[in-house]
Formats: sequence, structure tokens, C-alpha cells
Amino acid sequence: MPAMNQVLLISFLLFSVGVAGVLIRRNALIILMCAELMLNAANINLIAFARHSGTVAGQAFALMVMGLAAAEVAIGLAIVVALYRKKNSISVDEINLLKG
Amino acid sequence: MEQLLIKIGQNFFLIFGVIALGGATTMIFAKNAVHSVMGFLLSMLAVAGCYLSFGAEFMGVAQLLVYAGGIVVLFLFVVMLVELSKAKEKGLFQRQTPFALALVLAGAVAFVGVFWKTLFGASAREALTLAPGLVAQGEKLGNAQMVSRGLFAEYLLPFEILSVILLVALVGAVVLAKAERV
Repeated sequence: MPAMNQVLLISFLLFSVGVAGVLIRRNALIILMCAELMLNAANINLIAFARHSGTVAGQAFALMVMGLAAAEVAIGLAIVVALYRKKNSISVDEINLLKG
Repeated sequence: MEQLLIKIGQNFFLIFGVIALGGATTMIFAKNAVHSVMGFLLSMLAVAGCYLSFGAEFMGVAQLLVYAGGIVVLFLFVVMLVELSKAKEKGLFQRQTPFALALVLAGAVAFVGVFWKTLFGASAREALTLAPGLVAQGEKLGNAQMVSRGLFAEYLLPFEILSVILLVALVGAVVLAKAERV
């Protein structure tokens, strides 16, 4: 079994990479993928601590997070496709329809 | 040779974690969006390996099916549907990239600094072990059975709410992506 510090460190680093990706990229698709990565980093912790505490709650909730992530991807990709139809671009810098 | 295999077996999680980090880094720095999706795929496969190293076989296989099988294909589909040549001309990264990277790095350093004792102290080196009372039950039931007990007995209501959310997301995706005129 892996030690707890390894799990915490790896999942924190994965989350940091996800945050960095959201902050630096212009492509809306890659920003969506980074959001997925952050959810996965949280899932690693959930499953590791489900193992640690001996209950099944962590695994059950990790499965629910996975389902929510799937719903998020479906909506996100639909928004990206709709935006591409409207603006002919998926760069987040050009999406300012709500600007007054 | 045997020693090496034992060493690899002990560090299964660390190996897959480093692979996942490599895939994630490729994902955020790749110039081509298809390469980004490939980095994402590698990362998701490695995360499935991490789940297996925790003894969560059901979650590992679900991760493979949902992410590597479904979500990556969806992303690849949209990447190829959307023309990205224009995005390349305007630059792939935001103007604030150096500041953002510095901020994330500072956050990582702060995290390690604050949790230094927790992360590298003596108590943190102990392995994540199964609680003694549940070892026997876990061996008797198997991982998938345990997860299904949790999902369909203890946490039935959240599970049903999740299924409604998925239905709403499905309908919403169809409405959003539909062409303007019917």
C-alpha cells in the first residue's frame, strides 16, 4: 500500500497542474480537460481515504463525482460547439457576449 | 531481479502518479490540441492505475471505461470538429502565463511548507491500511459488491439525484448543441 504522504503530494500536484492549465490556456476545450483533471485529483484522495477508514463511502462518492464529471463534460462540450457556431472561435478571450 | 519487482510493487502508486503528472503537464503545454487530448488520455489511464493500487478494482475499471473510453473520445471528436488554425495565430497561452505559473508554484511551495510535518514526518510514512474490522468483510464480499452495497443501500438518495442530474445534462446538451433553426 502507498504511504499517505505520497497520495497527498501526488493528488495535490495533479490539482495544481489543473489549476495552472485553467489559468494559462486560451482554448476552452483544454480548460475543460483541466477541470476534469482537478476532479480526478480529488477522486484519488477520496478513494485513498476510503481505503484508510475502511468504509465504502469514499468509493461511492468517487463514483458520483465521476458521474457529475460526465454530465459536466456533456454540457461543456455542447456549450463549446454552440459558441463555435456563434463566434467561429473557441478562444476564451473572444467570448465576451455578456460584457456591457 | 526479484528485489526489483518487489520494489516496483511497493511503489506502484508512485510510478503511476508520476506518469499521471507527466501526462497532465503534456496536456497543458502541448501546442497541438490533439496532443493535449493524448496527454489527458495518458493521465486518466495512470489515474486508473492509481485506483488499482488502492485495491479499488471497480473504480479503476470504471475510470478506464468512463474516461479513457468515453470522455476522451468526446473531447477528440470536438477537437476535430472545431477548426483550431485561428487559435494558433493568436497565441496559445494567456498574457498572464508567467504570473499564473508563479502563483501556482508559490501555492505548491506554501502547501508543502505548511504541511511539511504531515507530509514528511514519521507518522506520514505509515501505509494506508485497511481498517482491521473490515479486512474480513472486504475479502468476503469483494470490491464491486462493497461499492454496490454503499451505492444502493447507504447512499441511494444521492445516487438517484445523480441519475436525474445526468438526465438533465443529456437534455441540456442536446438543446445547447442543436442548430438554431429546427
